[in-house]
Amino acid sequence: MIRRFIARRSTAVGTLILAILVAAISVTYAATRVSVGEVSEGLTCQCGCGLTVANCNHPTCSFSVPLRTEIEGMLDRGMSRDAIIGFYRNKFGEKILSAPTTEGFNLLAWTMPFAAIVVGGGLIAIAFTRWRHAPGSKPAESSPSDAVAPFDDELRRRLERELKEQL
Amino acid sequence: MPDLGKLALAIALILAVYSIFANIYGTRRNSPDFIVSARHALWAMCAMVTIAVANLWLGLLRSDFSMEYVAAYSSTTLPTAYKFTALWGGQQGSLLFWTWLLSIFTSIAAFQNRRRNPEIAPYALAVLATIAIFFLGMLNFVTRPFDLISPVPLQGTDLNPLLQNYWMAIHPPSLYTGYVSSTVPFAFGAAALITGKLDDSWIRSTRRWAIFSWFFLTLGNMFGARWAYEVLGWGGYWAWDPVENAAFMPWLVMTAYLHSVMIQERKDMLKVWNLALIGLAFALTIFGTFITRSGVISSVHSFTQSGLGPYFLSFLIAVVLCYSALLIWRASDLRSPAEFESYLSREAAFLFNNLVLVGIAFAVFWGTIFPVLSEWVRGVKITVGPPFFNSVNGPLALALIFLMGVGPLIAWRRTTPVRLAQVFAAPAITGVAIGILAAAMGLREWYALTGFSLAAFVLGTIIVEFRRGVVARVQMVKEPPAKALVNLVAKNNRRYGGYIIHIGVLVAFVGVVGSSFFRAEVKKSVAVGSSFTIGSFSLKYLGLDESETPHLEEATARIQVMRDGREITLMTPAKLFYKRQQQPATKVAIRSTPFADLYIVLAGLDENGNRATFEVFLTPLVFWLWAGGVLMAIGTVVVMWPNVRERAAISVAVGRRRADDLLGEPAPGGQ
Repeated sequence: MIRRFIARRSTAVGTLILAILVAAISVTYAATRVSVGEVSEGLTCQCGCGLTVANCNHPTCSFSVPLRTEIEGMLDRGMSRDAIIGFYRNKFGEKILSAPTTEGFNLLAWTMPFAAIVVGGGLIAIAFTRWRHAPGSKPAESSPSDAVAPFDDELRRRLERELKEQL
Repeated sequence: MPDLGKLALAIALILAVYSIFANIYGTRRNSPDFIVSARHALWAMCAMVTIAVANLWLGLLRSDFSMEYVAAYSSTTLPTAYKFTALWGGQQGSLLFWTWLLSIFTSIAAFQNRRRNPEIAPYALAVLATIAIFFLGMLNFVTRPFDLISPVPLQGTDLNPLLQNYWMAIHPPSLYTGYVSSTVPFAFGAAALITGKLDDSWIRSTRRWAIFSWFFLTLGNMFGARWAYEVLGWGGYWAWDPVENAAFMPWLVMTAYLHSVMIQERKDMLKVWNLALIGLAFALTIFGTFITRSGVISSVHSFTQSGLGPYFLSFLIAVVLCYSALLIWRASDLRSPAEFESYLSREAAFLFNNLVLVGIAFAVFWGTIFPVLSEWVRGVKITVGPPFFNSVNGPLALALIFLMGVGPLIAWRRTTPVRLAQVFAAPAITGVAIGILAAAMGLREWYALTGFSLAAFVLGTIIVEFRRGVVARVQMVKEPPAKALVNLVAKNNRRYGGYIIHIGVLVAFVGVVGSSFFRAEVKKSVAVGSSFTIGSFSLKYLGLDESETPHLEEATARIQVMRDGREITLMTPAKLFYKRQQQPATKVAIRSTPFADLYIVLAGLDENGNRATFEVFLTPLVFWLWAGGVLMAIGTVVVMWPNVRERAAISVAVGRRRADDLLGEPAPGGQ
């Protein structure tokens, strides 16, 4: 009875919290055209701040402030994000982009993190295989069966230990 | 007075050198007197550095412009609070502050280990002293905080306006505390390698240090994000700037370490991996300092660029080489009888969690240094900014969230697929239901949909775990549910504190997803009395107020915020002008609710203030990012909280054995 009550209530509370968060998004989010921020996030400010045109923190920056106004005008004229970024790439070169291109040497930037994870995963798999066959390791068959729930055993042991400590 | 500071730093350096000699000589010759003497030398070193810090603070508070540092980073008009924080506002002061923290932590470690770990503690303290020597050497010979200036200026240059902010007052100390405290577990790891005492005693001895370091790295990153949100005025909080990355990488690696040490404590596995991780975490803190101070990579957070890069790079290389050499030297002793049964086991989940965490750290590192590589190889300096980091780390973050839900709920050794299905059915259904609900409400971003679903799934697993514990206590101990919940957490604070941290991560993750994908923005130039809208808000520009202090001029716009025809609040974004630095700055106005933040920047003004330009952002759920940070902090405090009952029980059970030594052991199946 108590168990069912707690189960129902905790699941309901959890679901309610998440539903409210999702609702919050739908309340505040309205689909609009591409924003100046989304475009200028793809361009690097050339004032030396090292940030994107969207994020440059200089209130009177001679590069990012006029550029953001220009971008607004381009969006008003119906230009797409890619077209605007392409325009600035032609004008300033590769240095204006806020992410490496996907060609040549720059491909390394994109592929290396995932390659490292694949290699790491492979090493873990090799280690697991070795450990599985290492002398002294127990075969999987000797592990607890489905009928015995390891979770509850674990919990029970913990509680019993706590009770002993209380006595 | 500056002479006293100089003298104190010189004596501190001598004491650090002496302590290394005394510790090693005392250990080799089995002479307790030398070891005690070394400990006293470290405490005296800490006292000397404290005197130096007090000296610089005094100079700042008294506006003693005969000191070059004081003249460069303060002024007579600077508010007193910022004179105090100017200690870490410049190159020399921040290095002195770092050294001070290091000397304090070294002293505490020396005190804690005066009767514990007699084999490795002297070597660990020698490693800490060696690191202190590097910093003291810099302060004595390379970048001196007590240099004098002549002629003495009547006024100082002042602190950078961006640093004159509450969050900047607490962000650097938090981050530095996180950075520097990671030195203690690193030193004990190195000492374990030096002495060959390679069991998990070094981990148990420094477990609280590692959590302490992680706690402050978390706070440091959160405070830095909040500072960026309030000060930089672009409506965001994280720009994947190199210095932000430098603070994020040690946090990721420390997170991996805190998980993987559980496997060593539980199963005596992964000795090499844990030693490598703590070495990497420490090396990354030095790498971060190198980036901030070298000017190799430009950053919005680099307020202290200088010619220190080569020194830090040399130190970093020396640390990596020496530590790697030690690891290789001890490789054969670090082999342990590994037991592994199934991929469906907690150890497997933790290992994959480590893989993803270190993978993200590598991706961040790679993206940070790639511009330098590109310049070397192609001669073209490119930028690696938010689009790259978001694209690469986004999928990895999803994998991490998934593993966060799976890991804690599956058993050590092995779990059968049937059992797995039983445990995860309800959370998985909740996750899918939330995804469908979100899609039905019109959300179409696949990442956000997956992110919300995964967050729901993981939250479900944590709720299931809490519920199981509460139900068990209610049935076996006959406690009411509320008391059972409190006792459950209190008696297993390490495990359930960990879950609270996980909830904090999830809440922050939801905040990040919401604020990243659904932000709306408007830029409008309006006359006094005119209105414009964003989302469901109507904003009316009421006029401009101007004020002036000896320190700055301020122009504050008054904006009436309306919703559904009624006034909600008055918001006051401002433009500041710092007189000494002749620099403008923005002061944003934020109205924060759990649903969305309304964020207004006064971007421009005409001559008489009749017309003003505003940049306005409506960012959903960003509130939850900060709430998640608070939950993570609460969870960490719960984890670190001394378990008095457990200590007493162990003391009784083991008689004369010290309870301290046992407390580091994990509870069965516990975190």
